[in-house]
Amino acid sequence: MDAAVWGLLAGSAISLGAYSVLIGDNPISKLTENIYMGILGGYIFATNWDFIQKNAITKVAGGDYVYILSIILSIMLLGRLKSEYLWVSRYPVVLTVGVGLGLAMRTSVMADFLGQIQATLLPWTSLNNLVMVIGTVTAAAYFIFTAQSSGAYKYVNTAGRVFLLSAFGVTYGQTVSFRFELVIGRLVAMLDPRVANYTYVMILIIAVVLIFGYTTKRIVWYSGR
Amino acid sequence: MSIINKLLNIDQRIIYAALFIALAYPILSPVMLPMDIQGYSQQAFDFSDSIPEGSIVIFEGGLGAATYPQGGPGMVVQIYHMLTKGVKIVFFSIGTEQNFWTVRAIETALGKLPPGTPAENGVDWVHLGYVAGGEAGVGSLVNDIRATITSDYYGTPIDDIPLLEGVNDASSFAAVLWWGGSEGSMPYGIRQISVPFGIPITGMSTTNEVPNFSPYISAGQLQGIFGGVRGSAEYEYLMRLPGPALGQAMATNFGGLLWMILVILGNVFYFIQRTRGEE
Repeated sequence: MDAAVWGLLAGSAISLGAYSVLIGDNPISKLTENIYMGILGGYIFATNWDFIQKNAITKVAGGDYVYILSIILSIMLLGRLKSEYLWVSRYPVVLTVGVGLGLAMRTSVMADFLGQIQATLLPWTSLNNLVMVIGTVTAAAYFIFTAQSSGAYKYVNTAGRVFLLSAFGVTYGQTVSFRFELVIGRLVAMLDPRVANYTYVMILIIAVVLIFGYTTKRIVWYSGR
Repeated sequence: MSIINKLLNIDQRIIYAALFIALAYPILSPVMLPMDIQGYSQQAFDFSDSIPEGSIVIFEGGLGAATYPQGGPGMVVQIYHMLTKGVKIVFFSIGTEQNFWTVRAIETALGKLPPGTPAENGVDWVHLGYVAGGEAGVGSLVNDIRATITSDYYGTPIDDIPLLEGVNDASSFAAVLWWGGSEGSMPYGIRQISVPFGIPITGMSTTNEVPNFSPYISAGQLQGIFGGVRGSAEYEYLMRLPGPALGQAMATNFGGLLWMILVILGNVFYFIQRTRGEE
C-alpha cells in the first residue's frame, strides 16, 4: 500500500470521527478533534519556526543585526503564557496591529471606498445598472437611524430592507453551497475506489461502538433537537 | 401532534442522513446535469487567457485541507494554463497549511503538462513558500522580496534563482492570481499589490465568499473570480481539461436541490401551521 492510500485512509478515519458529532457529542468525535488540533498545532509551529529560522536567525548570524529586534519582539509575545508577564506581550501585539492597520489604510481608501463609489455611479441605461444604483442608495439609506421612517422615506427604507434581505438570501444560499462542497470534498476522498471498502468498515465500527456506548449508557445520548 | 408539526420537528439527524445520501450518490454514480458558464468565471478565464507570453505573474496559494477539494482542481488548471501559455509564475502562501497544498497543486499541474512544456523550477516557476504576517507580510514581500525572505520553499537562496534575477518587487509582475480559498484574503492582494502597483488581479474564493468580492468585480478592481467547486469545474470545462471538479459540481447540484425542497417544504408547513393557529 503506497503513502497516498495511507493518507486517504487516515483522512477517511479522521473525517468519519469528526462527522460522528452529528449523531451527538461522543468520545470518537472528541478523540479525532484532539488528534486534528494536535497535528495542526504541531505543523503550524514547525512551519513558523522554519520561517523565523530562515528569515531572521540566519540573517542575524550573517551580520544583519537589525533582525534581532524582530526576534526579541517574537520572544516578548510568549509573555502571554504567564499572566504576570502578559503586559510584555502587549508591545509586539500593538506594533503588529499598528503596522497592519497602517499598511491596510494606505490603499483601502482607494480599494474599498472610492472604487466602490465610482462603481455605483452608473448610467441608467440597463436594468442591471438601475438595480445597482437603487439598491446601493436605498440599502445605505436604511442605516440612517436618525431619520423617521414616515412619508416618502418609508418607501426608501422598505426598498433598502428588501435589497438587504435579498443580499442576505444570496449569501445564505452561497454558504449552504460552500458547506456542501466541504462535505463533498471529504466524500470524494473517503469514497475513492482504493479506500471505499475500508471507509464502509470504519462506518460500521463507529456505529457499533456508538450503539454499544449508548445502549450500555456509557455514552450519554445527545438530547437536543 | 399533527403530521405537519411532526415534520417541522423532525430530528435533524434524519436531514443529515438524507443530505449524505444526496451528496454521496452522484459521487458513486456520476450524473451530468446541464451547466452554464457564469459571467464571473468567464471574465476570470478571459483575463487569464490575455496575460502575455513571457510575463511573470504572482500567485498566492491559499487553499487548505478543507478547501483544496473544491478549489484545488481549478488551481491546477490555472497553473497548467499559465505554464502552457509560457507565463512564468512566482508562488507564495500566507498560510502554513496552505503552503503544503500549494506544493501539491504545483506537482499535480506539472504532472499534467504536455511533454515539452517548459516548466523548470527556478526558471519557469518558483515557490517562495510560506510568508508570515498576513497582509503586512504581503505588503513586505511585494515591496522588497529579498528583505522578506532569503530562500524559496526548497531552500534555494533567492539570489540563485534565475527567474528572480532583477525581480525584487511587484512592479515586475503582469498580474496577480489570488487563490485565497476561504481565507477572505483577496482584499490583501487588491490593497497591497493591485492598487499600489496598478496590476490587475483575479483568482478564486470559496462559494460563500463570492458575494463579498462581487463589489470589487463591479468596480473593475477584480477581473472576475472562480467561485468554489463550480468555478473550478467551469475552468476545467473552458480549458477542455475534464477533472474532479466537474463531478463534484454535480454532487453540489443534488445537495442544492434537496436543500431547496426542504426550505420550500419548511416554509409551506410553517405557513399552514400558522393559518391553523397551531403553536
